[in-house]
Amino acid sequence: MEKENLHEHDILVIGGGLTGLRASLEAMSNDKDVAVISKVHPLRSHSVAAQGGINAALGNAPDRGDDDWKDHAFDTVKGSDYLADQDAVEILCKNAPEAVLELEHMGTVFSRFESGKIAQRPFGGAGFPRTCYAADRTGHNLLHTLYEQSLSGEMTYYDEYFVTSLVKDDGRCAGCVALNIKEGRLHAFSGSVIMATGGFGRIYNRSTNALINTGDGAFLAYDIGAVLEDMEFIQFHPTTLYGSNILMTEGARGEGGYLKDSEGERFMKEYAPEAMELAPRDIVARAIMNVVNEGRGIEDEYVHLDLTHLGAEKIKERLPGIRQIAMDFAGVDPIEEPIPVQPGQHYSMGGISVNTDCETDVPGLYAAGECSSVSAHGANRLGGNSLLETVVFGRIAGARASESPVHRGADESLFSKAVNRDRDLIESITGRDEGILYSDILEELRETMFQHFGVFREGEEMKEGLAKIKDLQSEFDDVYVQSDSSKFNQALIRTLELRNMLFISEAVAIGAIEREESRGSHYRTDFTGRRDDEYLQHTVLEKGEEGPVLDYAPVNLGRFEVRERDY
Amino acid sequence: MKLKTFRYDGDETNDEPHYDDFEVPHEPGQTVLDALFYIQENLDDSLSFRYSCRGAVCGSCAMLINKVPRLACRTQVKPLLEGKDDAEIKHYPALDEGENTGEDFVLVEPLPHLPVEKDLIVNEEKFFEFYREMEPYLQAEGEVPEDEFRMSPEVVEELEDYTNCILCAACFGSCPVDGENENYRGPAALAKLFRFHIDPRDDEDRLVLADHEDGWWDCDFHINCKKVCPKDVPPNKAIGKARGELQQDKE
Repeated sequence: MEKENLHEHDILVIGGGLTGLRASLEAMSNDKDVAVISKVHPLRSHSVAAQGGINAALGNAPDRGDDDWKDHAFDTVKGSDYLADQDAVEILCKNAPEAVLELEHMGTVFSRFESGKIAQRPFGGAGFPRTCYAADRTGHNLLHTLYEQSLSGEMTYYDEYFVTSLVKDDGRCAGCVALNIKEGRLHAFSGSVIMATGGFGRIYNRSTNALINTGDGAFLAYDIGAVLEDMEFIQFHPTTLYGSNILMTEGARGEGGYLKDSEGERFMKEYAPEAMELAPRDIVARAIMNVVNEGRGIEDEYVHLDLTHLGAEKIKERLPGIRQIAMDFAGVDPIEEPIPVQPGQHYSMGGISVNTDCETDVPGLYAAGECSSVSAHGANRLGGNSLLETVVFGRIAGARASESPVHRGADESLFSKAVNRDRDLIESITGRDEGILYSDILEELRETMFQHFGVFREGEEMKEGLAKIKDLQSEFDDVYVQSDSSKFNQALIRTLELRNMLFISEAVAIGAIEREESRGSHYRTDFTGRRDDEYLQHTVLEKGEEGPVLDYAPVNLGRFEVRERDY
Repeated sequence: MKLKTFRYDGDETNDEPHYDDFEVPHEPGQTVLDALFYIQENLDDSLSFRYSCRGAVCGSCAMLINKVPRLACRTQVKPLLEGKDDAEIKHYPALDEGENTGEDFVLVEPLPHLPVEKDLIVNEEKFFEFYREMEPYLQAEGEVPEDEFRMSPEVVEELEDYTNCILCAACFGSCPVDGENENYRGPAALAKLFRFHIDPRDDEDRLVLADHEDGWWDCDFHINCKKVCPKDVPPNKAIGKARGELQQDKE
């Protein structure tokens, strides 16, 4: 391998979203030599699309008295349908006020109450207006803040590098191999690895996720022996814009928006008479699907998110972003007419299994944020907790990786071997003159996932779905790319992403088929109740000789008693 | 529909910049980005363009569409084909190089003023270098409060005008001054600098960073920047205010 294509750093952070940047800043503050490797410029990461806000028990809402992190923790655990690890939830919620204030001190322009304090709005499943926000562009504001902060120090960015594999040295993660998308060459990187690649929503055809969310990190980690956890728990956001499935923030309901059927009825009264539109996402998403399936939807496809009664001023001040999106992408001005919405995939609760120090089962490999499962969200994440997770656990990952010994001088032949193996894979794809196009397999995969592993699931249908996924995996052996360009060969990148997605889909399917109960986002029409005696456990998947091996691991309980969940 | 797109594979020895025509089935609600994906997935997988969020927030897909810099994901095909394109900006030579627009096709080209890497992908290094030059991070020298800095909703409102910038570079690609002066820092970098200047938490003397002829003083107020901004950021307003303040300081 050419010397200039081997890069040595203390810590490699894969992914440049909020988690990756927060981890990097922490490692940088510990005087570590940090490199961020990302397949897109960090500001293009999916974190930028987060709208509604970030939860913290600041208790800023006027006339509402004090809030308490323990109440935040209770709401989170109940929202998770009791599958969250309560020690992780405690860390998440206890650290929330400090994390949000830190972001404010770093420069984030949060919306404000008249008192000048950070504004907070009500969100689903929360017993207090706890969600801090920057209008409905919270993720954008946070991501720009963290990126800006990284420019005040020394950090190396490898933008537009696609990681093709992790490298293991004597049982330890020693670095990675990545394709420089611009030039088409493979590079090797040595250092401890923090995985921060986000979710895998694009295995579904209706998703709020950026097109780049393909689950690369979870596959790469699994491939060198890390354990995946709770992959079957997929959050479907109740309100995504009909047509493009762009997110319409829960903040719209937090600000008082109604969900209505074709008759103009607020149907949530049938499903969550107390919480109404602000029940947790899994419950609202199922309600909408039911309404549409019963023929009470509009065009048999969607329901209405009605904001018209909020008035132009409030909409322009609090929800300017979604107003613009609704006008640009659906030709609807929410001040005048209701927004057509339907549920769409939104978030992956599961991911790379980590302990509360963000350590995976492979020494030298850490993970945080949506690609991981710590598990603070269990079977259903509350809105406003994902941005929180990125900064709280991103920081912990950066700190823990900084404490571990720097792994320098790994055997160069290990990297050469890894580079050669990945080159062989790439050449096998670009070398074929005929075969199947990635786009054909991808389209079928996404349709399969939505049909067979969507909001409602059933045993036989899921088994059919898994068989279909296996077929598509076989078809991948014949996949080919026509372009022989080395520069920006996006067909090749998308084919490599597809490889990751095909595996991730299988992991979701296996977990979903084996879990014979309904809990949080995982709803089975053939097992409609929660079965704590058997399934109050995390699903874990590990790489075996002949594919993934499934097992269960205990949930860390202790603070809150497990109860039925009603709203 | 017909889509005419700029092509260049980034290597002058085996490719001359040229244009390719593609026939793409038109669908309701179709965006230019949808049409580009249709081509990449069905007609020619070598076509390259940047993308990520497809929801007009990440800033990846700014390109020249019918001679106006805009986000491909946010640009509907239908009005372009029907001649109902309401985007009007001041035209100048760099914008109007290459093919002309026509009535029966959509013309897609890379952003002007930045070197083309491949097809519709430009090298944004210069754009980000100007941005970094503005030290775009909060520099609060004084005492940091235990809780948050207090800030009135009115101050937030003014800041939001500028924090809404997604750094897509559409403004940079639309600015006639950037077309003439390769050192002009451009609308986005200047708007970012102004954003920190008006942040009550920031203690740095900000305006001096661009108090030179390639900074605040080179703008000619064509206002293309504001017109093309997908987030309604007004760099022209920032530049005007900055000049006023600097002038006042000098008097």
